[in-house]
Amino acid sequence: MAGNGPVVARGLSTWFCCGPSYGPCSTAGGGACGDCRSSRWQCAWPNASQACFDITRPDRCGVSLPRYGCDHGFHVANPCTGKSLETVTIADCGPDTDRFCRERRCCGDDCSSHRILDLTPAAFSRLADLAAGVIQVVVRNASDAREAT
Amino acid sequence: MSDVLRRRRFLSNAVLGSATVIGADALGGSPAQAIAHAGHRLPPKTPDPNFAEGKVIGIHGSRLTVTSPELLLQRIEVGEETDVWKLRHGVSLDQVKVGDVLYARGTAGPDGLFVADLVWVNIVNLHVLVVGSEPNRVHLDHGGGRLVGHIVPGTTAVVDRLARPVREMSGLSVGRHAQVVGAWRPGTNEIDIATILT
Repeated sequence: MAGNGPVVARGLSTWFCCGPSYGPCSTAGGGACGDCRSSRWQCAWPNASQACFDITRPDRCGVSLPRYGCDHGFHVANPCTGKSLETVTIADCGPDTDRFCRERRCCGDDCSSHRILDLTPAAFSRLADLAAGVIQVVVRNASDAREAT
Repeated sequence: MSDVLRRRRFLSNAVLGSATVIGADALGGSPAQAIAHAGHRLPPKTPDPNFAEGKVIGIHGSRLTVTSPELLLQRIEVGEETDVWKLRHGVSLDQVKVGDVLYARGTAGPDGLFVADLVWVNIVNLHVLVVGSEPNRVHLDHGGGRLVGHIVPGTTAVVDRLARPVREMSGLSVGRHAQVVGAWRPGTNEIDIATILT
């Protein structure tokens, strides 16, 4: 079964728009990797480079995340709904993890803290209602997930 | 330049050095074929065939005509079973107007008609900086642009980082970073707030 690889990170995800868009999203652009689109399964990762890490600073929330750059693929699951995605690729740097330290969400006794991922609307809406804003996620490397299939 | 904009631009610039762009033609297969194999798998950088987005340019009965950001026309069927969100869930189709923008999740048929299960109208999810607060609205900085966020009595929820409701607007002090889920008013810099996370 997909998604049985080692867990890279467990925490919270929100969503962001990118690519051509409208209204407050119209200035979003293609993200740090240049090719982000709201309709694709893409994400922003807080440790996409040293310069990226220096801004997002997940360590200030006590979170340690490995460094992965543009196009790295993840398997992302929502532990509250059991829904998952593969493959979600890195297309941007973010979220601003240290701006929201101590943020926490639970479903039952299963709780997660700290923002570790930003998903595009297409990806987030596959896992949960966009109106939820923030959800729990479990992140694995896509290759690990494939090997475990 | 605002703090949020500086930070966002820096975030974008921070990873550019390692960028690799793969052309869409390198992906192989159609999106519909890809999603048909397994509901949760999709080749990298492929548009999700069960997702639609665009600006409403026509409404004919239960059918919306939208133009995508890439200027492609798409017909979206909104049936009785479709849940429409516009600031709140369960609104009727007559609340959707020409000029609104939407995201939708559903199924694309062979005739190109997208049958929607869920439609989010004018939804935004923004990381903002609170720059001003009044009893019924807040002034927000988003990427260097100013937004007015309207508090909608009976609808707007203010919650803290543990998702607990915050009484009054005390959690929205000037200088605080927040995340706003709301409905944009097309053609303006104003949004009606569904939830503000402080």
